[in-house]
Amino acid sequence: MKDCKRTTRNLVAFLYGELDEKEKRYVETHLKTCPECKDELHRLEEVYEIADSLKPDMKKALVSVDWDKLPERIVGEVFDDRSIQERRPDRAGLWPLLFQPRFRLGYAGLLLGIIVGAVVTFLIFRSPPLQVAESGKIIVPLGFYDKMELEMARRETIDYLDRSEYLLLDFVQSTPEKSARFWQSDFVSQRTKELLSKKRYIDPQLEKIKLAKAKLICDQIELLFFELIQTSEDLSAVELKKIQRLIQERQLLLKIKLVRKELQKSEV
Amino acid sequence: MQIQNTRQQDEINSLAERVKSGDREAFMVLTRLYQKKVFQLAYSYFRNKEDALDIVQETFLRFHQKAHMFEGGKNFQNWLLQIAKNVCIDYYRKHHKKNKELRRVENIEEMNHVSYDSSHHDPSSDLKEIFSRCMEKLSDKQRMIFVMKHYNHLQYKEIAEILNIALGTVKSLHFKAVRNLRTLMSPYMGRMG
Repeated sequence: MKDCKRTTRNLVAFLYGELDEKEKRYVETHLKTCPECKDELHRLEEVYEIADSLKPDMKKALVSVDWDKLPERIVGEVFDDRSIQERRPDRAGLWPLLFQPRFRLGYAGLLLGIIVGAVVTFLIFRSPPLQVAESGKIIVPLGFYDKMELEMARRETIDYLDRSEYLLLDFVQSTPEKSARFWQSDFVSQRTKELLSKKRYIDPQLEKIKLAKAKLICDQIELLFFELIQTSEDLSAVELKKIQRLIQERQLLLKIKLVRKELQKSEV
Repeated sequence: MQIQNTRQQDEINSLAERVKSGDREAFMVLTRLYQKKVFQLAYSYFRNKEDALDIVQETFLRFHQKAHMFEGGKNFQNWLLQIAKNVCIDYYRKHHKKNKELRRVENIEEMNHVSYDSSHHDPSSDLKEIFSRCMEKLSDKQRMIFVMKHYNHLQYKEIAEILNIALGTVKSLHFKAVRNLRTLMSPYMGRMG
């Protein structure tokens, strides 16, 4: 059994005369005593013979070729034909190959493609202009309302900060005698109420991330105004002086200025 | 004999060296010397004269392009046949592989038809046709090794060098190729007599 395996593995090489003497003798000896391996060899020999039957065709083909002219044609094409010369990247390098005149049309097409692609990309990604529909309604692009809202909020907040600053400045600069009556005066009371109602109006807009810093300072101002308008009547001049000093120490006016400046820069 | 072979080898290598420097005559001599070898390999692979002639032409063209890559100490014939083998495989993939799938169904039907209706055909030519188609069913490597061994009478050692694989692999692939052909041919061998 072991001998059969070894012989079978070597039968093709045996058939084609590729075994060394020792292995050849081994196979020959085994074949004399093993009819199964001998049958296998016969089957392989049949294949060998059928394969051999194709050889006359090759001989016919060989005879039909003009072997004197073929090398001349090949040599002519290799050395004389321009198109073949151009197929020599190893010698001439790739650059001359790339800049052949016949590629001009291709390169022109490529350039045109790049330009068209750039224009199309620009048209797709730029903000589309406002369009008027047939019905007369204005069609606005997606996100336009969000931008508008943000811009309105920014302007309202700047206005709120402006007016709050003036009011607080007046308060801080007022004398102790005047400061007691400051918040009770009709003018200031009216202005403060306006500012408090304005604050309620801009509150939802201040929730936007871009205005977070402004919201913080506006909330502080609102709280301060609210407290002052409610309690100033009961506060003594000393206490009001303390509040004035606190506003100065906390640099509330400076913070208002900085936030306002930042908002002015960040126009949507 | 050995000395004579070595001298021939040296002469051929010196011709190949001259081709590197653009020598037309040297290229012509080498083309004359090896055109039939390349043709035999290509013809036995494709079984078609026109394809084989295309392969010969393309092989020598590539030889001229890659002449600078030939190392003097190597066997020129094996190096050239390595190019021819690559050209054959490229050519087959480019021109024949697309049709192979299409022909597969037809082949089986035709092969069955041929094997039963032998009264109108020359049995030996039918068997050759079937055998050619069976060869096409082998893998690229098995087919190339079978062709190199059977029709080009190359030694396993030479085939190993041309295909750049181990000697044992050549032996094993050749064994598989013949065994596969025997299996593929077995339904027809008994009937065709």
